[in-house]
Amino acid sequence: MSAPAAASNGAADARDPSGFLSEIIGAPVTVKLNSGVVYKGELQSVDGYMNIALEQTKEYVDGKMRRNYGDAFVRGNNG
Amino acid sequence: MAEAEEAGGANPVNEPLDLVRLSLNEVVFVKLRGDRELKGRLHAYDSHCNLVLGEVEETVYVVDEEEDNDEDNVRTVKKQSEMLFVRGDSVVLISPQQ
Amino acid sequence: MASQLLPLELIDRCVGSRIWVIMKGDKGMHHAHMLEQTSIDLIAEFSGTLLGFDDFVNMVLEDVTEHDYSGAQTKLPKILLNGNNICMLIPGGMPDGDE
Repeated sequence: MSAPAAASNGAADARDPSGFLSEIIGAPVTVKLNSGVVYKGELQSVDGYMNIALEQTKEYVDGKMRRNYGDAFVRGNNG
Repeated sequence: MAEAEEAGGANPVNEPLDLVRLSLNEVVFVKLRGDRELKGRLHAYDSHCNLVLGEVEETVYVVDEEEDNDEDNVRTVKKQSEMLFVRGDSVVLISPQQ
Repeated sequence: MASQLLPLELIDRCVGSRIWVIMKGDKGMHHAHMLEQTSIDLIAEFSGTLLGFDDFVNMVLEDVTEHDYSGAQTKLPKILLNGNNICMLIPGGMPDGDE
């Protein structure tokens, strides 16, 4: 992940966003988009745009499972 | 091109766009804003997620609002295209088709 | 003259304590007809303990309660909140201590 220039607390520990992200790589995560759509899967990677790669992804709309993806790339600015 | 670096890593997916790179010339599923989906062969992409897809099937979900009752009917409209350019800002998700 | 407190300094003072985050609401609301939001389930507010933030005001929060427009509350142990759609930050957390 491209380093956020000057996090006020200095070093990127697990507390700030980039530190937190690098700590949870490989873990099962829930990604909620602005639209309310939810993706659950194993976090493969994240970049500076907050683009996200997930493995074994399940898509939930209104709490109901809609679809299953092997791998999924979720574009960053979809919040 | 970047084949040399690629061979080095145990996990070829070091950043999210690597997943898209690995899908080049493969059939991908793309979810777009506005209840649209595409399925087609990925010919090219860039860092904005602008895409060029070939042999594309587009699915649009249309909600017919009915005046008399409150039920909205969801209709799907399918379109075929030989080649399509997709502007990256409308992309929500890209997934390789297994 | 009293020294000025910059906005991000105010947030920096909140690290380690409760904070209340209100998202921009308009953006979601006019999508309400869209297929994927048959019931309006758009994120409205979060309250939690601020662990850290970056220059984009992306934030890491702990012991979070998510309040959506329907009034439903969801507890989340730890989240990264994208700064893109944050509208307002209120130190001290939510008034009716939901935590």
